[in-house]
Amino acid sequence: MIATGMLAVLVPVLPMMSAAVLLAFLRTSRRPAARLSVGAMSVTLTLALTLLAHHILTGDAPVVVSVGSVGSLWIDPLSLVLWTFVSGISLIVHIYSVRYMIEEPGYARFFALLDLMTAVILVMVSAADLLTLLVAWFLVGVLLYFLLGHDHRRPAAGRYAFWTQITYRFGDLPLWFAALILVHAYHSVSLPVIFSRIQSAPHVQLWGVPVPELVGFLLATAAFARSAQFPLHIWLPYTMDGPTPVSALMHAGIVNAGGFLFNRFAPLFEHAAWALHWAFGMGLATALIGSGLMLMQNDIKRSLGYSTMGQMGFMVMECGLGAFPLAVFHLIAHGFFKASLFLGAGDIIGDARAHDGVPPDPIYTSVVERRPAKPSRLPWLVAASLTVLVPVVVLSLSHFFVAEHFFFEQGVVVLLFFGWVTGAQALFAAHKMSQQDPWRLMIGILASFVVIVVGYTLISHYFGKLLYPDEQVTLALYGAASIHQVSFDALVLFLAVIFVGGWALTFFADSFELGRNIGGRGRGVYLGVYALLSRELYVADIYERLSQIVLQWSRRLNVWLRWC
Amino acid sequence: MDIVLTLLATLLVPLFPGSWAFNRLIASLPTGLAQGLAVLVLPQLGLEVLRFAPPASLEPAGWRPWGMVWAAASALLYAVRALSARDVGIWSRLMLSSGLGLIWFVWWTGASMQALRIFALSWGVPAAVALFLAGALVDRLGGARLGLQGGLLEVMPRATTALVLAGLALTATPVFPAFFSLWRGLVSVTPAWAVIWLPLIFLWGWAAGRLFQDLLFGDYRGEKVADIGVATIAAIGLLLAVSVVLSLGASGGLS
Repeated sequence: MIATGMLAVLVPVLPMMSAAVLLAFLRTSRRPAARLSVGAMSVTLTLALTLLAHHILTGDAPVVVSVGSVGSLWIDPLSLVLWTFVSGISLIVHIYSVRYMIEEPGYARFFALLDLMTAVILVMVSAADLLTLLVAWFLVGVLLYFLLGHDHRRPAAGRYAFWTQITYRFGDLPLWFAALILVHAYHSVSLPVIFSRIQSAPHVQLWGVPVPELVGFLLATAAFARSAQFPLHIWLPYTMDGPTPVSALMHAGIVNAGGFLFNRFAPLFEHAAWALHWAFGMGLATALIGSGLMLMQNDIKRSLGYSTMGQMGFMVMECGLGAFPLAVFHLIAHGFFKASLFLGAGDIIGDARAHDGVPPDPIYTSVVERRPAKPSRLPWLVAASLTVLVPVVVLSLSHFFVAEHFFFEQGVVVLLFFGWVTGAQALFAAHKMSQQDPWRLMIGILASFVVIVVGYTLISHYFGKLLYPDEQVTLALYGAASIHQVSFDALVLFLAVIFVGGWALTFFADSFELGRNIGGRGRGVYLGVYALLSRELYVADIYERLSQIVLQWSRRLNVWLRWC
Repeated sequence: MDIVLTLLATLLVPLFPGSWAFNRLIASLPTGLAQGLAVLVLPQLGLEVLRFAPPASLEPAGWRPWGMVWAAASALLYAVRALSARDVGIWSRLMLSSGLGLIWFVWWTGASMQALRIFALSWGVPAAVALFLAGALVDRLGGARLGLQGGLLEVMPRATTALVLAGLALTATPVFPAFFSLWRGLVSVTPAWAVIWLPLIFLWGWAAGRLFQDLLFGDYRGEKVADIGVATIAAIGLLLAVSVVLSLGASGGLS
């Protein structure tokens, strides 16, 4: 156990030491700097993997390791899984940066900052006390500012790095407040101690409100700012002026901190039902707005930014439904997926500049040029039946066989509902593509769908067992996220009407070319909505105006008081 | 008598409106070094004066909550004002006045004199560094107003790095001592006070972001100037590093 603790301390310390050596001795040596940094990160990943494998094989109980008087680390399944994920993503970004950044000034400084950022994230996800968590949470924002602003010759990089820094700083405040309330109410900074006291006294009140509920709201707000939830999202799509490896690290790792925070404080959220409902609402709104705005972008990186926003909304929504381990699985899957997209985006842009790359295939003709290559589709009744029924059957059966205990929990039902919507949307899109052999296309997509759903269900289930071995905790979280049955049925019905209505609208708009025939008042509404969305709901403009007002007052005060 | 001593102390440990005179005095000193030394010494003198006027002596008048509100308001006033300051010297003085305003808040809670001294040094040391660097900028560029000639990182990398570190320390960024002083101050009062304190952290971050924007980004358009010496940056680095090590060592007793 002592050896495990010693090894565990090395995980965040190694990249920290690498950064210190880079800054002290290798500032002007490019190749040795990159080698040291990549080497340190490789060892870090190996250590993290070893510790995770050791835990899976032996099933050791979580331990808290004190690092002198500086802080403490909590070596539990959540920390071990996230250590492996973070160091894995960071190693990929390091290796990519070796060549990508070679012509940039401040090469060694860049690697030192990457190492420091990785070390701080590793500390953050394993912090065992409130102060260590707060320090690491705070430092992520500071380091991200310098990473995004690495190219100091470009004022735009500085401007958008500042947007990120100020949003992160705003999100730090609720975490500060939550930490202070927890210390005041439970008289400790140690997270395991606080959680055990919450279990024994969950109804402690402050200002007439149960402390877990109050703190749950504050933690959720901190998570919203870090995970770009509406309206605290505006920094995310605009951080593309930073180096591409930083975008990859940010979208794949840093932005997921919200999901981590929910999971770390899971014992508290068992007693914070209203905070979970709020998270569900915010997550749903963010998922819809992010995905909608993604569709309107003509810049690949900004489009990926809004895609991340939508995914983060979905992740927070999963937490709001009580599916905490699923959110961790989601953030890991999304992290690797989005890192590969970002790191590949540069090549795609380069290729597109060299040649238009328009493939002469029917899918492109159908989706982009909006004209069917060959009017060959399945009969609409067959297609509609497949679209609606197949996802329901596949999702229900796989979940029923893998996790029967949770099958009737409200959170699971809503997740299945969204799975059905996603699956049906994929099949609906496949039906719209004209093909020479529509049956072949449909069978191929159905087979892929079955493989994905069964694989996802199995992996997420066993992943959940790893993070939360006690089934009662999972049930308690689902229970906290549940609402009154009538309200729940109404909600599901409402969402079903919205989605089916959306499909019908899309179908008829395409069939009757509604977009081209809008006139009079309808056209005004259409243009208004278009302007609203193309200006990204004016959120950035509102912030800009508010900050101008504050700055104006600041100048006035300084003039009145003669700058003293 | 206690009231007179307390009012006298507001001139040395800046609390509005006494802070106006404090800032005026610092600004009137001829060099950055003198200004830096003054912000280290004067608050400590003010705390010596306060030793003879403990808050309990004012307690019968029921001033305690009002005194705490006034201290927090003074800190907020200076934090808001720092947002529009683009001169490094002015920015540093306003940030220092904001941070030291909180000493009064902690004083009203009955904190020990040692805790107050550490609190004053947490803001005093980085402010002294920033004022010294502001003096260096005045000597080289004729003024310390940022944003006129573009970013300084290219032409004065050492001075810029030192200024960034001092700015971070002055805005209570972990792992600098001000962060831990802030934490100690906040856990010593009921959480309701955080509603006044927390906007301060936001405003400080905003002020630092605006300063760094002018300091770091954009091509330099002025004449070529000499950077500060290696020995100077080493001394500043050592000073800040020692303060970080001490604050991290002391953070163990925060639970």
